[in-house]
Amino acid sequence: MDNDQSVLLKVENLTKHFPVSGNRVVHAVDDVSFTIKKGKTLGLVGESGCGKSSCARTVIRIYEPTSGRIILDGTDITNLSQKELLPHRRKMQMIFQDPYASLNARMTVQDIIAEPLRAHHICKNKAEEREMVAEMLHQVGLNQEHASRYAHEFSGGQRQRVGIARALILHPQLVICDEPISALDVSIQAQVINMLRIFQEEQELTYLFIAHDLSMVRYVSDDVGVMYLGQLVEKCETDEIYAHPLHPYTQGLLSSVPIPDPVLARKKENAGIAGDIPSPIDPPAGCRFHTRCPYAEKRCETEVPALKEASPGHFVSCHKFG
Amino acid sequence: MQEVINKWERIELGGEAERLYSKPRSFAEDVWFRFSHKPTALLGLIIIALLLVFAIAGPYFTPYGYDDQNTKLANIPPVMQVYPAPDGNFLYITKALKIIEVDKDGHLLGQLKKGKDNSKEKITVFPYKDDMTVTLDYTVMPATIRDADGNRIEKGKSIWNHTYLLGTDHLGRDILSRLMYGTRISLLVAFIAAAVNMVIGIFYGGISGYLGGRTDAIMMRIVDIISTIPLTLYVILIKVCLDDGFLSIVIALSSVYWVDMARVVRGQVLSLKNQEFVMAARTIGSSTLSILTNHLIPNAMGPILVTVTMLIPSAIFMEAFMSFIGIGIAPPLASLGTMCNDATEALRTNPYQLFLPALVICLIMFAFNFVGDGLRDALDPKLKK
Repeated sequence: MDNDQSVLLKVENLTKHFPVSGNRVVHAVDDVSFTIKKGKTLGLVGESGCGKSSCARTVIRIYEPTSGRIILDGTDITNLSQKELLPHRRKMQMIFQDPYASLNARMTVQDIIAEPLRAHHICKNKAEEREMVAEMLHQVGLNQEHASRYAHEFSGGQRQRVGIARALILHPQLVICDEPISALDVSIQAQVINMLRIFQEEQELTYLFIAHDLSMVRYVSDDVGVMYLGQLVEKCETDEIYAHPLHPYTQGLLSSVPIPDPVLARKKENAGIAGDIPSPIDPPAGCRFHTRCPYAEKRCETEVPALKEASPGHFVSCHKFG
Repeated sequence: MQEVINKWERIELGGEAERLYSKPRSFAEDVWFRFSHKPTALLGLIIIALLLVFAIAGPYFTPYGYDDQNTKLANIPPVMQVYPAPDGNFLYITKALKIIEVDKDGHLLGQLKKGKDNSKEKITVFPYKDDMTVTLDYTVMPATIRDADGNRIEKGKSIWNHTYLLGTDHLGRDILSRLMYGTRISLLVAFIAAAVNMVIGIFYGGISGYLGGRTDAIMMRIVDIISTIPLTLYVILIKVCLDDGFLSIVIALSSVYWVDMARVVRGQVLSLKNQEFVMAARTIGSSTLSILTNHLIPNAMGPILVTVTMLIPSAIFMEAFMSFIGIGIAPPLASLGTMCNDATEALRTNPYQLFLPALVICLIMFAFNFVGDGLRDALDPKLKK
C-alpha cells in the first residue's frame, strides 16, 4: 500500500490530544485513518468542534501528532523535525478559513504571496519574484496593481484569492482547504470553489477539503469522510454517501441540509440530531455517538464500534452494520 | 438620442474599469491621519519638538555654559525691582544686601564696592562712580536706598534682566543655559533608557510569549517578583552601588523599566501567535526569526510604541527625582532635578529658581503623555473610520 504510486497522502491512526489543566486531555483527533489519491479530493465533514480542523493542522504538522503516521508522497513525515520538514512543506500547503485573520495586516499583497518563495529561497532576485507574484495574481483573477496594496483594502473574496495565491505559488501537490469558503458571501463561494476546481484540473492538485456545508462538499469531493468527536465514523465515495448514508450521524447531518424547494422540504421527515456534542475532554464510552443516537442499544454504551466495510468501498463504524 | 448601453454586458478584466485610481493609504499614513486629528496629541508633539530644539540648539545661542559661575551676581531674578541711581542707571538690592548696578536696558554692570559699614545704625555706604555715594539702609526690611543727602530714593520700575534672561542661581550661573543643558540631559537619559527598555522588553516578552509553556511561566514569575518591589527603590539601590554620573543613571533606569514592556509584548505575542496568519507562515515553512520579525513584532508595534511614549515621562521624572534627592547627575552637570534641588535651599527668597525647572518637567510630562495618549487612539484599529 505504501508503495502505491497513486496515493499521495496516507494517514494512519492519527491521534492528537491537547493537554488541558488538571491532567486532562482534549481528544481532538482519535485514531483517524484515510488515504487520498493523486488528483482527488477528500471532503471531511462534521459539525463544529468535531476535530476536522485539528486533523488538517496535524496533517500539515502545525500541531505535533500524539500518535499515528502521516505519509506524504511515500515519505513518513510524522516525526521529521521542522528543519527536515522544510523540503516537504513545498508539497503541501494550506488555505485557511478566515481570509481576514489569515493575512498579515502589516504586509502588502506582494509580500504575502512572495513569503513562500522567500522561505524556500526560490527566486534569485526581486524582479523574478515580482514576475512570479504577478503571474500568480493573474491566475487567481487579481491584477498586478493589487500587489502593492494591503490586505485590509480588499473584500473577503479578494482576500481569499490572495490566500489561495499564497498557497499555490509553490505548486504544491496537496492543498488542505480548511473551510475556505465558510467565511465568504454565498455569491463569492461559487467563484472561489470553481477557481479551486480549475486549478485542480490544470495542475493535478490533490485536495483535503474541510467543510460543514454538505452541498458544497458534494460538489467538490470524490470521497467524503464524516467526523464525529474526533473520530471518522463513515467514509465512502461522494455519491454513495448521499445516496445511502449508513451511520445515524451521517443521516442526521444529511437531513439537516436545507432543501431549496419548500414543497419538498415540507414532505421531508425531520430526523435532525438531538442534543449537543459532548465534551471532547470526556468523550462518551463505547460508541461516541450513543448519547444522541436514536438507535442506541445497550452495547453501544460499552463496545467501541470498529470502522468496517459495510458494502464495497463504504466504511462505517456502527454496531448496526456488520 | 443617446445610445443605450447594456449594463449587464461582461467587461474585459484588467481594463479601465478595474483601474484603482485612489492612492493606497499605508498603515503609517492611516495612523498619522488619526493622530493629527487629535489636537492634544498634536500639541504634545509640537511641545516635544520645541523642547528638543531648546535642548539641542539652545546652548549654541547662549554665551554661558552650564557651569560658568559668577558669585558676585548670584540669585538675581529675571525681573528686578530697581531704584534709580543718581546718574540715570539703576540699582538693585540683592537679598544678601549687595547693590548691583543695572543699566537702562537691564544689563547687569556689576556689584558696587562696599564702603563704610555702620552696623550700629544698620547703614552701609557704597561709593558710586568716582564722586557719589549711595547709602543702604537696612533698619527696616526690605532695605531701602538713600542718596548722598540722606533722602530716601523711591523704588522705581520693574526691569527685565537682560544679562541673565531667566536670572541666576545661588552660584551665579545662568538659569536659562542650565535649563537648556538640563533638558538635554533629562531627554537624553529618558530616550536612552526608553530605547534600552524597549529592546530588553521586546526580547524578553517576545521569547516568553513565543515559547510559552513552562519557559513562559518561569520568565513571567521573575517579572512578577521584580515588579512587586517598588521600582523607585530599585533604582535608588542600583544607584547606590554605582558611581555618580550620567552613565550610571542610564544603567539604573534601563535595567528596571523593561518589566512593563515585557508584559505588553508577551501579551501581544501570546495573542498573535495563534492567529491564522502566523499559522500560515508556519505551514509555508518560514523560519522562527522571520515569523518574529515579519509577523509578530510589526503587529505588536502599536502597543509597544504606546508603552514607550508612556515610559519616557516616567523615566524623566525618575531621573529628576533621583537628581533631586542627590543621587542623580553629579554637579556641576545640570539636570532638571539637580536644579530643583539647588533651588530648595532658597525657596522662600528665590522661588523662580524652583519654578522654572519644575515648569519644564511639567511640560515634558504633559507633552509625552498627550502624545502617548494620541498614539494609543491612533493605533487602535477599532477606532478607524
